[in-house]
Amino acid sequence: MDSFVPAQYQPRLPLDQLIIEAGSDGAGDTMELDVVIVGAGPAGLSCAIELAKLARADGSELNVGVLEKAEALGEHSLSGAVVNPRAMRELFPDLQDSDFPFRRPVDKEAVYLLTRSGKLRLPTPPTMHNRRYYIASLCEIVRWLGAKAEALGVTIFTGFPAAQLLVRGPAVAGVRTAAAGLDRDGKPTPGASAPNDLTAKVTALAGGTRGLLAQAWCERQHVPSENPQIFALGVKELWETKQPLDRVIHTLGWPLPRDAFGGSFIYPLEPNLVALGLVVGLDYRDANLDVHGLLQRFKQHPLLRSLLAGGEMVEWGAKTIPEGGFYALPERRSGEGIVILGDAAGFVDVPSLKGIHYAMQSGIYAARAIYQHLNTGAALAEYDRLVNASYVVSDLYRTRNMRLAFRDGFYLGGFQAALMTLTGGRFPGGKYRMHADAEVPRRSSPNSAGATTPGISKVDAVFKSGNATRDTVPSHLIAGSDVPLEVARFYAHMCPAGVYEATESGLRINAPNCVDCKATDVLGPRWTPREGGSGPRYKRM
Amino acid sequence: MKIACCIKRVPDSETRVKIAADGKSLDEAGVKFVMNPYDEFAVEEALRRKEKAGTGEVVVICLGPAAGQETIRTALAMGADRGVLLQTEKTPADSFETARLIAAELKSGTWDLILFGRMAIDDYNHQVGVIVAELLGLPCVSAVSHLDIEGLKGIAEREIEGGIEVVEFPLPAVLTVDKGLNEPRYPALKGIMAAKKKPLEVKAVRPGAGTIEIAALTPPPERKEGKIVGEGAGAVAELVRLLREEAKVL
Repeated sequence: MDSFVPAQYQPRLPLDQLIIEAGSDGAGDTMELDVVIVGAGPAGLSCAIELAKLARADGSELNVGVLEKAEALGEHSLSGAVVNPRAMRELFPDLQDSDFPFRRPVDKEAVYLLTRSGKLRLPTPPTMHNRRYYIASLCEIVRWLGAKAEALGVTIFTGFPAAQLLVRGPAVAGVRTAAAGLDRDGKPTPGASAPNDLTAKVTALAGGTRGLLAQAWCERQHVPSENPQIFALGVKELWETKQPLDRVIHTLGWPLPRDAFGGSFIYPLEPNLVALGLVVGLDYRDANLDVHGLLQRFKQHPLLRSLLAGGEMVEWGAKTIPEGGFYALPERRSGEGIVILGDAAGFVDVPSLKGIHYAMQSGIYAARAIYQHLNTGAALAEYDRLVNASYVVSDLYRTRNMRLAFRDGFYLGGFQAALMTLTGGRFPGGKYRMHADAEVPRRSSPNSAGATTPGISKVDAVFKSGNATRDTVPSHLIAGSDVPLEVARFYAHMCPAGVYEATESGLRINAPNCVDCKATDVLGPRWTPREGGSGPRYKRM
Repeated sequence: MKIACCIKRVPDSETRVKIAADGKSLDEAGVKFVMNPYDEFAVEEALRRKEKAGTGEVVVICLGPAAGQETIRTALAMGADRGVLLQTEKTPADSFETARLIAAELKSGTWDLILFGRMAIDDYNHQVGVIVAELLGLPCVSAVSHLDIEGLKGIAEREIEGGIEVVEFPLPAVLTVDKGLNEPRYPALKGIMAAKKKPLEVKAVRPGAGTIEIAALTPPPERKEGKIVGEGAGAVAELVRLLREEAKVL
């Protein structure tokens, strides 16, 4: 096999398991809320905070619950991140920037094109100017937002993943959480707890990148988008360095092959605490490409070597990013009893490498639409109207084809993107057609470069993610039944956490290693939620 | 049954410990705090005793900084009825000062049982529960790994070197509990919801200076890197030689 198409080996979404009638058998506790929000990230928590504030201003009481699959707030949140404070200011008009959980403002920045041992400083592309924005850890932002939400009376249920969408006919009625305490075969152990049903007048899906329930709902409702959503995988490390760093750095070029889209980021949270990572579009062609391995090679570059010498890696993590932009947005992000927020809806602008403020802003708009809906019965489509009329969509429209141009490779893509910037997005007119990442053919080659990768092994990386998932949880990954060896190897390279191993006897899955980055769900075996508290425990990612 | 559970907020055992610039305390940046795991056994046992008795109250007492409220909420979400935070800037280094403040709080109530974790996983002192018992003039059994209570009499088992010690004691009593006593429950959704409405009293307290001071904290020496002697049967002789001559363990 010289090449293969990953979609051919990917199981379909089990819609009948993911969407069930409210009141179906199998629930332990049931609870009724006004609004249930899935995911305590920037989108979900901003929605909860704005809802609680609206109710408080009216002197009314609203029962808002936020479900979060991580054991504690922020532990499944990962981003670069340089944050545009715009949405934070809108959500907290009485606070100053200095009150926000940001580490420091960006005052110097540099963009380099790397070769194996050299670097060429590029003028910073206009979309990538970060002056007056802030370097931050998303974990810290989320913990801060969570405390604000709780102080306003919102209930946050950490350790409770939403596993199924509850519906009454076409209307969404709430969610069912994942069971906990099952053994490897899915049978309950003595400490097991059954799933819980949370019903609500409105369900807000803010499950983040490649959100499972949002995918399922859009598919069931046949909500179209102009292009399929596409993703990138980012692998990130946090380093305590001996050398101080005073600027935000982005790089392009080496060690990525020319037919892959991506680059690196290097952000100092403190002069000697540096977040660095590599992001690669999942439409890469070489089946042996390994983003974690490439990050390890990247650290061998003289630029990084001198920065990291004598330092220590203190944390590691990985996450996908929805990169499709304007043309990949679902045509509507609302329906009967439901809204979809943040990364789950695809509100990310790749050319500026920003998503957090769009996620928060979408949460704020959703809250306003939900509040109006609860009081007057107005349709939740108001949420789409608010988002469409805002900078969230106009920003994404301006850069609508920029990421897509790179499907043709790095240099041609870069040239086209430059023209797009000059013309404010009008060049070349029309739109670029994209394939879903899983539809892009992969070139398999016998050489397996992964074996000699320097740096941190995937096993050590998973340890540094804080992942202490019970070894005996049932596997949460749904793989195809007859995966050829080439494809198994492709999974093994693709997964940054060493979940997949290609052996002569077939695909081996080490499910507890999974850090919920969702790359597997984009290109291979389907991801479903595990018992609460499984997965990574990010602290300052 | 009226039961007091005394709990402590400690760094998570997965924490990568870093010593602060003063050389005497932990650098709390990026550190996650949780309920001391041994105290979870105490809370669970209290809840089971109350459930078995069919009536009673479980009160959770925590001494520590304002964030101790989170730790108390966790216990309330598990099912405890109310909480008291004895708020200090930081936990005193001298266990006696901690014990004195907790004993003073306990004196304001009447209890059938007062439970502590066997020790806190941050300082390994094993002391507070035992000193509280002394201050209150109550019998104390430490490191309890099995418990039976009939009327006003308790029978506790303690795991000791090479065996099990069985101890009888009258109620009320102070017990410090060990792992193996039970399997602590996770808070249920309804418990988390209910915990928000349960009473949590915050009382500012001021510990005395005490007679113990932490002079320095030092990390354990770094483990030397291992070495691979060789592979297969051929390497055995060399391995044995090294174990005998270099490591001196044979």
